[in-house]
Order: sequence, then C-alpha cells, then structure tokens
Amino acid sequence: MRGGYAGRVLHIDLTTGRHTEAPLDPEVARDYLGGGGIGGRLYLDLIEEAIAEGASPPNALSPKNPIVIMTGPLTGVKVDAVARWTMSSRSPLTGFWGDANVGGHFGAELKSAGYDGIVVTGAAATPVLIDVQDGAVEIRDAAAYWGADVYEVTDRLTEDLRSPEGKRGQVLAIGPAGEKLVRFAAVGTRKRHWAGRTGLGAVWGAKNLKAIHVRGSGEVLIAFPERLQSLREELKTLYAEDLLIEALRAFGTIASIDLGALTGDVPYQNWRTGFWAGVDELSSVAYQEQLLTDNATCYACGVRCKREVEVKEGPYAGVKGAGPEYETLCVFGSLCLNTDLASIAKANELCNRHGMDTMSCGATIAFALECFEMGLLGSDHRPGPTPQWGDAAAIVELVDLIGRREGVGDLLAEGSAAVAARLGGAAAELLSTVKGLEAPMHDARGAHGLALAYAVSPRGACHNAGLQYPIESGGMFVADVPELAVELEEQSSVGKAALNVATQDYGVFFAGCAVFCNLGARPLSAAQAVEMVSCVTGVDYSLDELLTVGRRVWYLKRGLSNLFGARAEHDRLPPRLAAALEDGPTAGGVPDMDLMLREFYELRGIDPEGLPRRDVLEGLGLGDLADLLHS
Amino acid sequence: MGSFTSREEFETMLGGFFDHLTVVPSIEEKLLASKLIIRFKYTDPDVVLVVDCSGDTVEIRRGDAETKATVEMFMTADVAHRFWFGKVNLMMALTRKQMVAKGPVPKILELLPAIKPAYELYPTYLRENGYARHVID
Repeated sequence: MRGGYAGRVLHIDLTTGRHTEAPLDPEVARDYLGGGGIGGRLYLDLIEEAIAEGASPPNALSPKNPIVIMTGPLTGVKVDAVARWTMSSRSPLTGFWGDANVGGHFGAELKSAGYDGIVVTGAAATPVLIDVQDGAVEIRDAAAYWGADVYEVTDRLTEDLRSPEGKRGQVLAIGPAGEKLVRFAAVGTRKRHWAGRTGLGAVWGAKNLKAIHVRGSGEVLIAFPERLQSLREELKTLYAEDLLIEALRAFGTIASIDLGALTGDVPYQNWRTGFWAGVDELSSVAYQEQLLTDNATCYACGVRCKREVEVKEGPYAGVKGAGPEYETLCVFGSLCLNTDLASIAKANELCNRHGMDTMSCGATIAFALECFEMGLLGSDHRPGPTPQWGDAAAIVELVDLIGRREGVGDLLAEGSAAVAARLGGAAAELLSTVKGLEAPMHDARGAHGLALAYAVSPRGACHNAGLQYPIESGGMFVADVPELAVELEEQSSVGKAALNVATQDYGVFFAGCAVFCNLGARPLSAAQAVEMVSCVTGVDYSLDELLTVGRRVWYLKRGLSNLFGARAEHDRLPPRLAAALEDGPTAGGVPDMDLMLREFYELRGIDPEGLPRRDVLEGLGLGDLADLLHS
Repeated sequence: MGSFTSREEFETMLGGFFDHLTVVPSIEEKLLASKLIIRFKYTDPDVVLVVDCSGDTVEIRRGDAETKATVEMFMTADVAHRFWFGKVNLMMALTRKQMVAKGPVPKILELLPAIKPAYELYPTYLRENGYARHVID
C-alpha cells in the first residue's frame, strides 16, 4: 500500500486478553476504502461463519458482538476536514446495524501509532482498558477508572499514560452511562467528539471496556505529496471565499438554527407544531452572546467549527468546556420548548460526563414530556409536579436521572421506542423513531427526500447515512455530479428516490469511507474529493469507482441490518413525522412515502420483503452477504 | 428574460416594500440593532436598493451605488421576488450562486430574525399596493 493507510489492523480479544495484528488487505482497501466501509466488511467477516452454520447473529450486548474502529485513508493527513473515523457494531438501541462517525484527534493518533483500525471481540471479566503506544499493545486493569465520568477518565488517563518525555496520547472512553448499559450510551474523545448515535457505548460497557488510549509518533505517508500540495493551494482559495465555511467558523453548526427556523427544518415540541416564537432566543447570535468563549477543532482542521462555552451565572454556573452543537441545542431547546440556553449547555455537559448521545437523550425527554402531558407517565414514574414543556430544571434533572439510571431515568434509558412499547396505548404515536433510532433535528416535512432518507437508512432515522440532507437543504452543491446537481423543490416527493440513491452512493464514499467531514468538506467538488483520495493513497481512482464503493458499502450496511431482522415494514416514518403540520413554513405538506419507497425499491433492486436482490449484491462483490440473506 | 420587464416598476414595488418594512416596529428594531448598510444589486432588470440601518432610522435609498455598504447581495429580480414569498431556499441559492453575498457572515445571519416576519407581509403588501398580479400562489 503506497499511502494513506498504516497497513495494519489490531485485533483484541477481551475474553482471552490476547491481541494480534492483521495486515490490511489491499483489495479490501480498494473495494471498501475505509471508515464504515472497511468497518462493515471486517464486522461481516467476523460473524458470517457462525451465521452460515446456523447461529443467530450476535446480540448487541453479547461478547460475540464485535466493535470495529476504523480510520479512512485520509485520516491523519494535514488537510482541513479529514480527521474523521468510524465505529461500527450491532446497536443495543435499535437491534440493527449501528455506526457512528467521529471527529477529533483519536483517528490521527491511532494511525500515527501504526494502525488503521482496532477490532474488539469478546468481553473482559473485569473492567479493562486498551493501551496502544507505537505498536506496543497492552490490556490493562481499569478498575480504578470504572465509575469515573468521561471528563474525569479522559483527564486521568491522559496524564497517567503520557510518555516519559511528557507526550500525551488520545483517550476514547465511556462514562457511567455506558457502564450501566444506557441504550444510547456514547463513546467520547477529548471530552467533545462522540461516537454518539446508536448507543455503541453500551457495547463497550457490556465488554467491560472502559477506555482505549493511543499514542504514536508516526506520520501518514502521502503517495503523491506534490499533487496534494497543489490541491491544498487550490482549496485554500476555495475555503477563503466560501460563505458556509465562514458561517461555520463564526457560529459552528449552530448557524443552522437561524436558517432552519425560516425553512421549517427545526422541529418543535416533539415534532407536533410548526411554529414557536421562542426559537429566536436560541439563535446563533444569542448563543454567541450568552455562552461562547472560544472555538475548537479536529486534527489539522482550520475550519474550527467546535464551540467552547461557559455559563458564568445562574443555576447552571460552572458549566465550562465543549458547547452544544446544533442537534443538541434543538433536542433540549426547540423540541422541549426550552429557551434557557444555560440549561441546554448544562444538559449537554451532563450527557458528555455520563457519556450519552445528546440526540437520543433529548428526543427521549421530549417524548417523555408529552407522555407526562397525556398521563401516560405520572407521579408513580416521577414523584412531584408533572414536568412541563419548557421546564429547564426538569429537563436537566431527567438527563441526570437517565445517566444514573435512577427513578424514571432507568426507564427512559432504554430509549423512546422501548419506553413506548412498555407504556403501550397512544405512546407509539408520539415517537420520532425509525428502526428504533430517534430522528435528528431536521424536519423532513420541509425536505421530502429527507423523509425517505430517514426511512431507508440502515441505522435508523439518520441525516448522515448519505448526503441527502446537505444536498436537499442546499448546504452542499456538487456541481460535477449531474445526479446531485438537479433542480430541487424541497417540498415535493417527485424525483427524490433517485436523488436518495445518488446522495447515498456519493455520501457513503465521501463521508462514510474516505472519511471527509460532511460539514467542513462541503466546498469540495467531486473531482477535488477524488483527487485527494488518489494523491494520498497513490491509487488513481475514478469517480465511478468511488461511487461504486459507496454503493457497495450502502448495500453492505443495509444487508447487515437485514441480517439483524430489518425488513420492509421497518422502512417507515413514524406517524408523528408523517403528519401534516397546521402552521409554520411547511404547513399542510407531507412527504409521499408510498411513491418514494416504491421508486426507491425499484431503483435499488430491493424485493417487497425489504431485502436487496441476490443479483444486485453479487454484482457488487457481496455474494457472501447474498448467501446469508437468501439461503 | 425574467418576469419583470420594467425597471421602474420593480424598483417602486420592492423599494416600497422595504419602506413598508421599516415602519413595522419589530422589524425596524432588529434592522437598527444590526447597524448594517446593505446594498441589494438586482439584475434583469438592473435595480439598486440600499437599506441603511446605521442611523437612528432605517433609510431606503433607490439607485445608491456610492455609499460604502457593509453587506452586498447580488441576485436577479425574479429570485428576489420569490425570496420574499419564502420560496427561495437561502442556503441553496447561495451554494448554487443564484444569490451572492459579500460581507461579514455573522452580520448577515443576524438579519435572519428580521426576515422571518417579512415573509408574511409581502403578499399582503403586493395586493394592497396594486401589484396583485405578481402574487405567487
């Protein structure tokens, strides 16, 4: 392998305490590229033999459920917006395929320590951590760190494991929520970057894996450094003139709320209303004035979109550190009708310390507020006054209860879909979940193709399974891929199935495998993205080949969810998200799901049961997956 | 060719709408707080409107190409007209270069809360001022 890859994958068996190294197969690298592509491929390799012999797929919390951490070929390259990496496994929240796409410095450090990825199997009998230092690997006792929150364990391990020369490594860790198997537990690094979605922190907790520490001194080899330098110069001009990059620098992801409130993108009150005057109090300017202290960033990225905040007065004084992102601002703000920015910063910090996905946590709380309102939850679940919409103190308290699994928090820690199943009655009508995953804070009634993206995403309601959201919302324009540059009418379902196919193929290559940041790398043309992958790896890829990689990996993830039981009936929007709103910018409009699903199944070669056809899978080199699904 | 053939009509219509916005207290307050001077340069037909929020009152000036503006916005008259109906996705228009904005992004974003109520006022303004034929259903 010429460049981009370290060329080795570390395999850790926590049951035996042994580790091995395997070379990264160049053919696998070419066919799956990296990140969630290679992650999915390695995962399937590990479980397929047992399934072929008649075993059931592993339960998410079973020792047999592997975790795959994978970088992409660009991770660790000193270019804007390529620091990302992925974590994959079966989700304990949804029961289907789970993955998360993470920023920060961990991926770059892992590569500089000599590995493209880490595969963790088995489960330890007692708490452990994995320590990787320039190819030296040790599984250490972590009893002293068990119970510590993510901030504390990050600080302590960073100090405890620094080199004799003082060099600090990167820590990836779970908090108490992961230990207590909260179904949407997250895994965090640098106290601000999260493998958040689909609850993979609980998989770590079930394995008694508290943390992974990596420290390395190597560098990523660039196959064609002069070509990369030339591309860097080209991108420097592009970035300097790009308004969205400037908006990201100024306000981070929070900038989305100002535009989203105009277009109907921002959901309110557990998705049931289209207008809420309070949204102006959550604006990017208000955030900047009340909370912001500084910007932060991922490895080698000059966009610096991350927020550093501090609450200096009031009941939440003392909150300091990583600030809420757009999604977090909305789940604890607009979705709960809460205008108190300081309380949102507190809820964010509590999620971070406990180690929980803010999106599922906040969405579950909004769902719970409506359950309380309807009497589906009551004082037998939470003593005292009934929590109300906009009750900042109650929202913060519920976050903490969930993280501790105390009181009603123990119930809510199962995720909203499980709670609805437990409560019965009308509770299911209040859900925002697809395949058990709570929807992100982008209302698909304002962009119909996004509704289809949520419905058919392999991991559940997700705006990042492809690039449908940024393309359809207008935040990204890839002019040199004709299928992505079509004229768009957001509140129409016509043509959106074809657009979804295109945004999946390109998006899975771009943001899922390469792994470009789907925010900071938005200005890149397809030609520039392909050129970057080519000059880093030394493989002269064509756009067609990389689109095929994206398509292959999309089917791989779809097939993995199929292996775990996903069928056509799971490709549905929940009634709450499919009901027309009475007011707001999208009033009266609903996506035509029947039309879009029918067209999508046809275009993707998916049979009425929801399984990709054998010939489609075989045509993409996924014959083994076809055998498992169609035998 | 766009739907507006008369430069005078478009300038009077949109300039009048901007005048109308400056007397809505909630909008005027937000505009004055921004302290911005915004120049809108429209094409097809060519019209220039300046919204000057730097003083004690908001001033709308037709054809002012001289004042140094904080923010400049470029678009066709049709895009502008559809925008005030809420039928143009601002982000998409910017990424697809149907609108070009020059100036500090934070300042531009600060204007968004002022825009929101204006959407509802535009159709009514058109109907009440003899431009009903331009109302988009």
